[in-house]
Amino acid sequence: MVRNLVAAALIFAALVLQVGLVNRVSPRIGPDLVLLVVLTLAALRGSAVPGAVIGFCGGLAYDLLPPADHALGQWALVMCVLGFLAGRAGGQLPLLVVALCAVIAPGLAAGIGALLGDPGVTWSVVRSAWPKVAVCNLVLAPVVLWAVRAVQPRRRARGSEFVSSYRRGTA
Amino acid sequence: MRDTRRARLVIGVLLAAALILITVDHRAANGTLLAPVRDVASSVFGRVEGATATVTGPITGFFKTISNAPGAERAITALRKENAQLKSDLDAQRLNRDRVMKLDRMLGLAGLGRYRIVPAQVVARRASPGFEDAVEIDIGTGDGVRTDMTVLSGDGLVGRVVHAGPSTSTVVLLTDPALAAGARMEGGNELGVVSGLGEAGGNDNLIKFRMLDSSSPVQVGRRIVSFGSQGSAPYVPGVPIGVIERVDTTPGELTRTAYARPFADFSSIDVVGVVTEAPKRDPRDSVLPPVPKPPASRQAKPAERVPASRAPLAPPADTSQAGPRETDRTAEQPAVAGPAADAQQTEPPRSGHEPREETRPSPTPRAAPGQQGQEAGDRRSQDRGA
Repeated sequence: MVRNLVAAALIFAALVLQVGLVNRVSPRIGPDLVLLVVLTLAALRGSAVPGAVIGFCGGLAYDLLPPADHALGQWALVMCVLGFLAGRAGGQLPLLVVALCAVIAPGLAAGIGALLGDPGVTWSVVRSAWPKVAVCNLVLAPVVLWAVRAVQPRRRARGSEFVSSYRRGTA
Repeated sequence: MRDTRRARLVIGVLLAAALILITVDHRAANGTLLAPVRDVASSVFGRVEGATATVTGPITGFFKTISNAPGAERAITALRKENAQLKSDLDAQRLNRDRVMKLDRMLGLAGLGRYRIVPAQVVARRASPGFEDAVEIDIGTGDGVRTDMTVLSGDGLVGRVVHAGPSTSTVVLLTDPALAAGARMEGGNELGVVSGLGEAGGNDNLIKFRMLDSSSPVQVGRRIVSFGSQGSAPYVPGVPIGVIERVDTTPGELTRTAYARPFADFSSIDVVGVVTEAPKRDPRDSVLPPVPKPPASRQAKPAERVPASRAPLAPPADTSQAGPRETDRTAEQPAVAGPAADAQQTEPPRSGHEPREETRPSPTPRAAPGQQGQEAGDRRSQDRGA
């Protein structure tokens, strides 16, 4: 419960920071804080379904965030898929998984935008913007991972891990 | 030496000398007689006194500091605090001055075009490269903002309101690829559609200007203003949009594409205004800034632009067509600026077979192109619906 609340608070903070600070400072190319936080939360959760749920909720919040002019659900779809993948694979090497997903995400989002007929998504735009956004995300990924780890309550997670391994050992 | 005669003599002489000195100094006006002596003494002693002061100064200062130490500590902290406060005040003032300047310019523009505007402050921005470029402003339906209202800044067109909430509204910027606005070339009636390029616009946030008539002449350096939609929603007429920077000529294409640099600065967008009431009369080109100024401040190559805007004089056939109408339009408006008046003289030559009557404002001026602009503006929603 506390874990979920903390996750929600983190996503909320990321949303506000993204539109209030990151995009205002560098309106053209900038890191996607929301994406990184959501992926990190999913990867640290370490299982597929919670990851997908976190991704969906985070993405939906990102779609609803006020200055928005795209189809509702676009980011929810992208982040749901990526959250699922990150949760599935993020148990061992969360940083690697988050970095990989953060690189894939802009391309995936652009692809969905193209499928929906967004007039701005052209091949040249994707080619020029994807690498820049990916590099920004890569640079910020370790920082976000460290911050999320520092904020998340750890006792609960450790305890459950311990219990399960203990049970596995006895069974 | 005891109390001898000699001693008495010496004392007597000395006392006499003193008395003489007193008398002389007292009698002589302003001490003219003894002035050299005084000068020598003052120079010698003064120097020595100065030297001692430099030696003893630190020592006395040290003792003074020690005696004042507790109070001084307090004074220093108080001064530091005051300094920080003053610094932040100064920063805030600088910001405010900046804001006031922007607001002032915007009000000037609104006054020129007779737009009624509500000023607003940008509170959040969202820019996904290629997708969208939108800002959130701090006024909403409570302040009279409705969906599909024009948003402008002190420099020119910014975008339009796509969603008006109770206290905030979402504005899609001109650089958003999904946005399209009807536009008109300054001093003429060549119409086109302006749309954002998003990430493809490069660092200058270039926008695309598609001319509906591919045979009409386009020169680099000509300015474009908004044409106005039907019923002035979503775009009011006459708002400056940008300066044409590059023209693509593709033979055989139905439309001609030019790229324009917007007047509004989209990299730092701060104070904007929402046009809540359109002007009763189309301001035409009167809102455009004076010709030489914006190129000089915004671009490094004004030499290329000035000749371009003063290009060939209109042939007689053209003036006979355009002349009367243009002149009585300008006569109606006292606020028409200089460039608008001479711009119509520099209107470039046209080919004779051009269908002028269709693009020219007739009794129902903006029916066809206005609808066109509106259709273009709704491109995204149509796409989504499909």
